[in-house]
Amino acid sequence: MVDLAMPGMVLFLLLNLLAGMLRVYRGPTLADRMLAALLFSTTTVAVLLILAEWMEQPALRNVALLFVMLASIISLAFVGLPGREELEDDRQ
Amino acid sequence: MTLFLLDGLIVVGLVTLAYQAVSSRSLFRGIIHFVVFGLTMALAWARVGAPDLAMAEAAIGAGLTGALMLVAYRRLVEGRSDSPADPAPAQSRLALPIAIGSGLLVGVIGLSALFSEVEPAQAGQAVLSELQQVDLGNPITAVLLLYRGLDTLLEVAVLLTAFLAARAVAGADGGEGSATTPAPETPMVGALLAVVIPLTVLVAIHLLRAGSYEPGGAFQGGAVLAGAGVLLILSGRIAATPVAGPLIRMGLLAGLVSFMLIGLVPLLKGSPLLALPGLWAVYFIETAMMLSIAITLILLFAGGGGLKRGRNG
Repeated sequence: MVDLAMPGMVLFLLLNLLAGMLRVYRGPTLADRMLAALLFSTTTVAVLLILAEWMEQPALRNVALLFVMLASIISLAFVGLPGREELEDDRQ
Repeated sequence: MTLFLLDGLIVVGLVTLAYQAVSSRSLFRGIIHFVVFGLTMALAWARVGAPDLAMAEAAIGAGLTGALMLVAYRRLVEGRSDSPADPAPAQSRLALPIAIGSGLLVGVIGLSALFSEVEPAQAGQAVLSELQQVDLGNPITAVLLLYRGLDTLLEVAVLLTAFLAARAVAGADGGEGSATTPAPETPMVGALLAVVIPLTVLVAIHLLRAGSYEPGGAFQGGAVLAGAGVLLILSGRIAATPVAGPLIRMGLLAGLVSFMLIGLVPLLKGSPLLALPGLWAVYFIETAMMLSIAITLILLFAGGGGLKRGRNG
């Protein structure tokens, strides 16, 4: 059971990562991209935690911890961006 | 099989994200792709079994640099007049020769790395065989401080030099409040800071302590601590000043000076230079280096020589 659970979860998270990358690429609004990037980082945390258990590398948990701290910096830096209308010409 | 798929996604994703980061016409798209690239890169380092590098990449590559780029983007948008759109930058005639030259350089280095005879990594082997005696569980910290002390000392000196060079280029312009986000007074920000700042400091100390028995250490801890400072700058709690106060100066120099002084002591007893007298010296130097690294990174981010209470402080 356990040997099936780990690959299954990683596979599921893998699809999430793929979807996140697609959303970062497609947009269309700035907030979409930003949220996709934050979701991507959350998913990476999950991947790291599972890998830490699966590959017996407990140090990966510290990496996951660090990822969580970083998401707050990026989101706070994003909140400061001016409203969307000012960035109209920067949209695709 | 699953791991193979994961590795495949990481490799394909890295190349695609890197291309998108440099080629996308919208600056913001490029920045977000760069951040996601950094996260994927950190995942790649984790997969090849290098958690130390994964931490450094995530903290500095994705986190601090990403925030720096977002701040730069905001200032760019604010400073932009009513000009309709960015004119495409003129293609330099040197672009192609430089690209070919860089490609050749990478190729030559790669080939020579492939074909050169592998020299035994002496510091690594020495450390692995004597790890029990030096009482440090993490071979990387042991190599950094006990076997390659001079390299680490010079790295800290390079960081200080980089900061001084940045100050010289920036001139006397303190960048008053420049990195602060314009409307950080929303209640959410205060709540976020109240939770995240203590957690960040805790994680930094945990990483520093973990550095003695598992991946982590002064550089990772310093980068996380710098993250806390960056949050305070972004929210206007602290702001840059042109000139550093005595406390900041001491913090900047703490790592280098304490490493040098403790490294000089063994000479008096006839031991070789930088032969650290004991485990306490390792912890002491690591702590001092963490503070120096954090303060250097924060000042580089703020673009100033010193720090003071910000307008929201």
